Amino acid sequence: MIQKKICLLGGFAVGKTSLVRRYVESLFDERYLTTVGVKIDKKVVEIDGRQVNLMIWDLAGEDEFAKLNGSYLRGASGFILVADPTRPATVEKMFELLQKAQQSAPGARGVVALNKVDLLDEWRLEEAYQQQLQALDMPVLRTSAKTGEEVEALFVKLSSSMLLGGQGDA
Amino acid sequence: MLDRVFQQLDQLVLQRTEGRWFIAHSQVPEVLAEFFDNSGEPFELGDDLLFLDNFLIDADAHWQSGADFPRHSGTWYERSRSGVDVALEAIALTVDGSSILVIEAPGVKHELAASKLQAAREHLLTEERLEQEMRKRTAQIREREEQIALRLLAAAGFRDEETGAHVRRIGMYSEAIAKHLGWPQDQVDQIRMAAPMHDIGKIGIPDYVLLKPGKLTKEEWSVMKRHAAIGAEMLANTGIPMMDMASDIARFHHERWDGTGYPDGLLGEAIPISCRITAIVDVYDALVHERVYKPAYDEPTALNMMRELAGNHLDPNLFEVFLELLPEIRRIRQEIQ
Repeated sequence: MIQKKICLLGGFAVGKTSLVRRYVESLFDERYLTTVGVKIDKKVVEIDGRQVNLMIWDLAGEDEFAKLNGSYLRGASGFILVADPTRPATVEKMFELLQKAQQSAPGARGVVALNKVDLLDEWRLEEAYQQQLQALDMPVLRTSAKTGEEVEALFVKLSSSMLLGGQGDA
Repeated sequence: MLDRVFQQLDQLVLQRTEGRWFIAHSQVPEVLAEFFDNSGEPFELGDDLLFLDNFLIDADAHWQSGADFPRHSGTWYERSRSGVDVALEAIALTVDGSSILVIEAPGVKHELAASKLQAAREHLLTEERLEQEMRKRTAQIREREEQIALRLLAAAGFRDEETGAHVRRIGMYSEAIAKHLGWPQDQVDQIRMAAPMHDIGKIGIPDYVLLKPGKLTKEEWSVMKRHAAIGAEMLANTGIPMMDMASDIARFHHERWDGTGYPDGLLGEAIPISCRITAIVDVYDALVHERVYKPAYDEPTALNMMRELAGNHLDPNLFEVFLELLPEIRRIRQEIQ
């Protein structure tokens, strides 16, 4: 079976753990519980007729208390950059982490999750960020771990892209 | 005895024999028993421990470097058979030339650190929410101020030939220059609202002067000049920063760089910068648009006339900034007709 490592990156409290939980266990919990360190989940999916074992690394959100350890990204075939547009600082953080991801896992495929689309009325996505997002060479999805919107699509898109790219473990 | 110490600390001391093979130098604590071989025989670390598998690459480099300090993996979680996530940490160190790997389950220590982090991040989230709320309220206040300014301008518009489009353009040109100069956003917003009020004092000029079709006499001209002081007085002492700026602009927008302007004959940088900016954009907009007393000049002609004024009437440095921003100025001019 093909194995692929995926890392979730983003500022704190953007919903990385919730996205994984929604995808792997179809569950959602409204409470915010910060992630410390790394939590790895696995899920076997069928992409384009092929069985793929996704190893999903949920990395603690980066802030003044915790910095991303680049070695966690080693061997990753893909990464999901997560931001919460109700908090513009997390969008900025996401772009910062994109650079780190590209340095630590060159060749890995990426996808952006603008999470909490269930709170769309509260999004404050500035024009400059919208332009930066449009200029990115990767899919940008509006997701909600709460409602499940586009969560499956997020992982499927990334998996398809990784299979096309043939990066990482096989 | 050391063995019992490690047991109580939920630590497992492993020595690498070769490659991924290790031998335990202490009893495997209960909490780690389902993840590590408990037989006392050399064993190969399974690649199902994905995080540890990844850390071994860093650990190997650390052992090879012969460094005399430990290298920590950071916390990761392994799910136990009962479905509980167990927090673990690995430490690579070299002792008497041997490659040692300590695995520990930090337990309570980890829970304390996690709860501290949780509290700190919740505090940050609360701060962020409060800041957002403050920004929202500030925006509401600014919107109200803008509404007041617009009503004042509408009142003045009943007596003055200047169009609403002209005053809006003055605000937006000034905003563009202030932004380019790197002003803080609140001051950029202030000049956008304040600059359009530069001529608001004309509301206090009698009709026989303000609406006179022909040339003004010397006396009439001195009456007309009073609009600067009248406007300043109208807008002063509100305690609202935008209105304070508007008051300054109303009073000093006819001052000249060379000190020959009115009402106070201020010279150069003694004239507030908001007023020097307004003076430039007011002259530009008046030149490129038709007035009852003159046709609209084409832009090159208008700019040539302004070049003549730079250094005597207008601030020459700000005029250069204005020229740099011409594409933006033209866009505003086209947009607001």
